[in-house]
Amino acid sequence: MARNLAIKTEGLTKKFGQTLAVNKLDLEIEAGQFYGLLGPNGAGKSTTIHMLTTMTAATSGEAWIAGQQVSADPVAIRRTVGLVFQDSALDRTMSIDENLQFAAAMYNLAPDVANKRIDELLSVFGLQDKRKRKLVSLSGGQRRAVDIARGVLHKPKVLFLDEPTIGLDLPNRRSIWRFVEQLRRDEGMTVFLTTHYLEEAAACDHVDFFQQGQLQRGGKPQQLMQQLAAYILEVNTPNPENVIAQLTPIFGSPIREDEDLSFKISADDVDFHQLQQTLGDSIASMQWRKPNLNDIYLWTFCSPEQGKIA
Amino acid sequence: MSWRPVKAVVGREMSKLFRQRARLISSMVRPMIWLLVIGSGVGSMLQGSQQDGYLTFLVPGILAMTLLFAALLSALTLVYDKEFGVMRMMMIAPIAHYWIVLSKLIAATLTAMVQALLLLILLLVMGLISVKIALALLLPAVLTAICCAAIGGLIAVWSKSIDNFAVIMNFFIFPVFFLSGALYPVNQLPEYLHYIVVINPFSYGVDLLKHAVPNVATDFSIMTDITVLIGFSVAAIFIACWQFSRESVHAPLFQRMSK
Repeated sequence: MARNLAIKTEGLTKKFGQTLAVNKLDLEIEAGQFYGLLGPNGAGKSTTIHMLTTMTAATSGEAWIAGQQVSADPVAIRRTVGLVFQDSALDRTMSIDENLQFAAAMYNLAPDVANKRIDELLSVFGLQDKRKRKLVSLSGGQRRAVDIARGVLHKPKVLFLDEPTIGLDLPNRRSIWRFVEQLRRDEGMTVFLTTHYLEEAAACDHVDFFQQGQLQRGGKPQQLMQQLAAYILEVNTPNPENVIAQLTPIFGSPIREDEDLSFKISADDVDFHQLQQTLGDSIASMQWRKPNLNDIYLWTFCSPEQGKIA
Repeated sequence: MSWRPVKAVVGREMSKLFRQRARLISSMVRPMIWLLVIGSGVGSMLQGSQQDGYLTFLVPGILAMTLLFAALLSALTLVYDKEFGVMRMMMIAPIAHYWIVLSKLIAATLTAMVQALLLLILLLVMGLISVKIALALLLPAVLTAICCAAIGGLIAVWSKSIDNFAVIMNFFIFPVFFLSGALYPVNQLPEYLHYIVVINPFSYGVDLLKHAVPNVATDFSIMTDITVLIGFSVAAIFIACWQFSRESVHAPLFQRMSK
């Protein structure tokens, strides 16, 4: 391999019976990158992570982690990767310390090394005073933090985060991202992320949108947003049919949700004030803004061309 | 392969065993009920010297029963950990997956032995056995514990959920226990039941324990007992490890997550 690839897949495929969960996936992710795999529920994101971490075997195709073939030596792969599962992997009846000591022993870390590492990580997460606390007494965000600490105890080269902030409130989500950022900065690990909260993926170096086991669209978040459109125009109207008839010839078909229409506008010299006057009383409200990752998601998976208007 | 992960898995089970002292004590209630209620009840139907003889006859049986229940329940943690997610922590660890089964079965054997020792102490205090008999029972108890852990492992790796395990256990545990010679001599059973006793590996554990108690009739030779116990345990553990290493076993764990 010419480049320093943390993750590479060739035609990676997973079938569950007749269902194709992941279809001929080709990925190349360079070492040190922050990579985001985005897509709707059931798109095959978790299955992809499970194949890359030896939790499930690929039906066909091959994957490499840090140059090592995944199917050749699963134990070596598990030593190289860290995985934070979508659901907690911790024992709720044990304390933070017992959980992390147990996980460290599973990674064959000597007790003194493990202790130092646990101290280090708990202070990153601000949990150093809670080390002896039982897991049940922690908040959801704190438990997630312990789960992430568990995933990086052995300083993996590649860290997989499967929906790490799912079910957490905004402050907790923010702090989880601060921790991940710090871990990335301090230890230079490659991070492979799946998430539903698309705004969180804006920090990624590269994102791919994934649906029905296939990559749909990918690139740097900034570039993707620029490519999508210059502006997104959102209109709320009691007569959507009229507005669609009026604006589609100019901007193309919108994404429609009942009385809300969303147009993507490629030209960056549209006079929105003029447009507002033209539409006049036929609309209740309109606003225009720069596109974000949510728009890319919507236009990739719910666009009128796809015939699937949400 | 380093022993640290194995020690961690076994240590976790042991610390749970000693943490739940109430459960440990209550595990002594079942054999005591058998011994005192059934033993005295059935014994009262017997005549004269046979009465005391039946209590002595029951000692290997209830010791074997304690080992069976303890080992099976401990092997259940293979399913339990899957249900509650902790299994993920072991699955992602850099060890071959069959080591998870082996560690759990070591823990199951040790758990069974801890309960067996408690029971032996109780029996000593009650004056039902002598120190010499208690010591003679130890090695047969270890072999029986391994055999019971192997049975538990075999059931656990084929159970998709705890409910599933409970059903299979109810299906298994009573036939395995009742048709083992633990409660009555095998040679008095009708012929068709006799065959079941012979193919029941647990019978050989019960029989080996009987060999350690003087004046208790046995059904097989010591060599047969040891050969069957070791042979069955090795084969069962091997099959359990093989089945656990197959991905389909964990499909419920991961398909639930990939929703």
